[in-house]
Amino acid sequence: MSLYSRDPEWEDVVPLPQDDGVHPLAQIAYTEEYAEAMAYLRAVMAKDEVSERVLKVTEDVIEMNPAHYTVWLYRAKTLFALGGDLRKEQIFLNEMALKHQKNYQIWHHRQLIMEKIGDVTGEAEFTASMFEKDSKNYHVWSYRQWLVRRFDLWESPSEIEYIDILLKKDIKNNSAWNHRFFVVFGRDKDVPKEIVDREISICEDAIFIAPQNPSPWNYLRGALKKANLPLSTIEKTCLHYAPLDNPDKIKSSHALDILADIYMEKAEKEQAVMALDLLAKKYDPIRANYWNYRAGLIRGV
Amino acid sequence: MTPPILQTSAHVKYIQTLDTHSDRLDYHLTTHLRLSGVYWGLTALHLLRHPTALPRPATIAFVLSCQHPSGGFGASPAHDPHLLYTLSAIQILATVDALDALDADKTVRYIAARQTPDGCFTGDEWGEKDTRFIYCALNALSLLRRLDAVDVDAAMAYVMRCRNPDGGFGMAPQAESHAGQIFTCLGALRIGGALERLMSQDQINVLGDWLCERQLPSGGLNGRPEKLEDVCYSWLGVGGLALVGHEGLEEVDPVLICSFLRCDGGEAG
Repeated sequence: MSLYSRDPEWEDVVPLPQDDGVHPLAQIAYTEEYAEAMAYLRAVMAKDEVSERVLKVTEDVIEMNPAHYTVWLYRAKTLFALGGDLRKEQIFLNEMALKHQKNYQIWHHRQLIMEKIGDVTGEAEFTASMFEKDSKNYHVWSYRQWLVRRFDLWESPSEIEYIDILLKKDIKNNSAWNHRFFVVFGRDKDVPKEIVDREISICEDAIFIAPQNPSPWNYLRGALKKANLPLSTIEKTCLHYAPLDNPDKIKSSHALDILADIYMEKAEKEQAVMALDLLAKKYDPIRANYWNYRAGLIRGV
Repeated sequence: MTPPILQTSAHVKYIQTLDTHSDRLDYHLTTHLRLSGVYWGLTALHLLRHPTALPRPATIAFVLSCQHPSGGFGASPAHDPHLLYTLSAIQILATVDALDALDADKTVRYIAARQTPDGCFTGDEWGEKDTRFIYCALNALSLLRRLDAVDVDAAMAYVMRCRNPDGGFGMAPQAESHAGQIFTCLGALRIGGALERLMSQDQINVLGDWLCERQLPSGGLNGRPEKLEDVCYSWLGVGGLALVGHEGLEEVDPVLICSFLRCDGGEAG
């Protein structure tokens, strides 16, 4: 099984075993392989070696244990020092990321590589293939935000089109909603009225499909605030899903929650307390203490 | 439902023997987080009322062996230093009352050097930024009573930039709200003494609402909307509510949370 100890390319290297004592390593073949690769890696790291074979051994170790952050750092340093083929690295990273969904060390490494390459080609497709496996992967979403900022993709139609596809698949994907908000409202500049109107109507369509989905309701709050519009802009929508005069027809606790704020905005305290009472007693009793607390704040005002 | 019984001795034994499994693959695959593992194990032992179950001198010696010449700590000897493990090292030493064994100045210099001009911190010299690292830095410095070594106001301002319209916080400005990031952001604001100054009562309420919404019918909490609950997020979510001193905290039913003890491994700990 010994790969390195029999490889002429490595015969000048004396492997450095883990220095926290002597222990039996023979029980699992895979452990032996990992321990051996690590021992050769430690030996070249100790000398700060920069060479092609460093890329080989780091690749080997990463394949077995992609969470080992020191190995990623050493690999990046070596790649840059050697002027290695970064497009090839990009392809290697695609494979690794698809294989190890929860790994996050890989994303920072990818940023370093893409920063150097300076060309975003292939990244939208690659992140989309990650989202096919897990459409809420936090690290991939953070990376996608980084791409938008770094490569100025704010106005790129494909960004919004892609979010539309994801939301069509799963209207409750909060990560996709967050990315939408980021792309539309994420810059320090005024968003044109027609875009704000478009976003409000997209939220209303989503609420129609799933009135209890918190994402579009939160999105509406954020959008109105960014556009400097009062919450009462959506009073009609809220009343549609939470008719206070006909409590049996209420379909959304989120609509009630926003209504309470709208009435506070308009200084109609009684109505606000009524909405909060409905939440506490009937539409969201698991959080009754919270709604009662809020009603108490209003009564105490 | 019969109330679950905590298998204390099995848990203690499990933690004590973690370090002796060097013949197993997972021992080697976790060297990159060993120091944090020691902190988690030690904390669990204290909660189980077995604070001396790990040998103190060996614990201190191991921690010190992970310190890099730069002052930061790696997860194991000869690993690269990182704020995550630097915090674990300081937490362990504080827990066993051995902070005087540490070269504090060197450690403080390492932490302070991680702050970026916008107030955030990078995890290591390679520049990955994350609100978690602000929490790591401030927590570590507060344990060393050296918060004066960094620009706390700038850090507070950066954390507030990570606040989202839904009331939560993410790992960077405009990143999705996430219960783990909320815990670290609130922890940073709390340690920096700025929580009530920078967050209005209304903002705290909206955040509390968001965190309470994480509780699912099983009693456990998830970390983001429409995700599954687990023990980790239950801890982080309730921790976030505790950090804002939220009056709605009792909304999270402690009995239901305890029923999560179903998640233990019984005899195996």
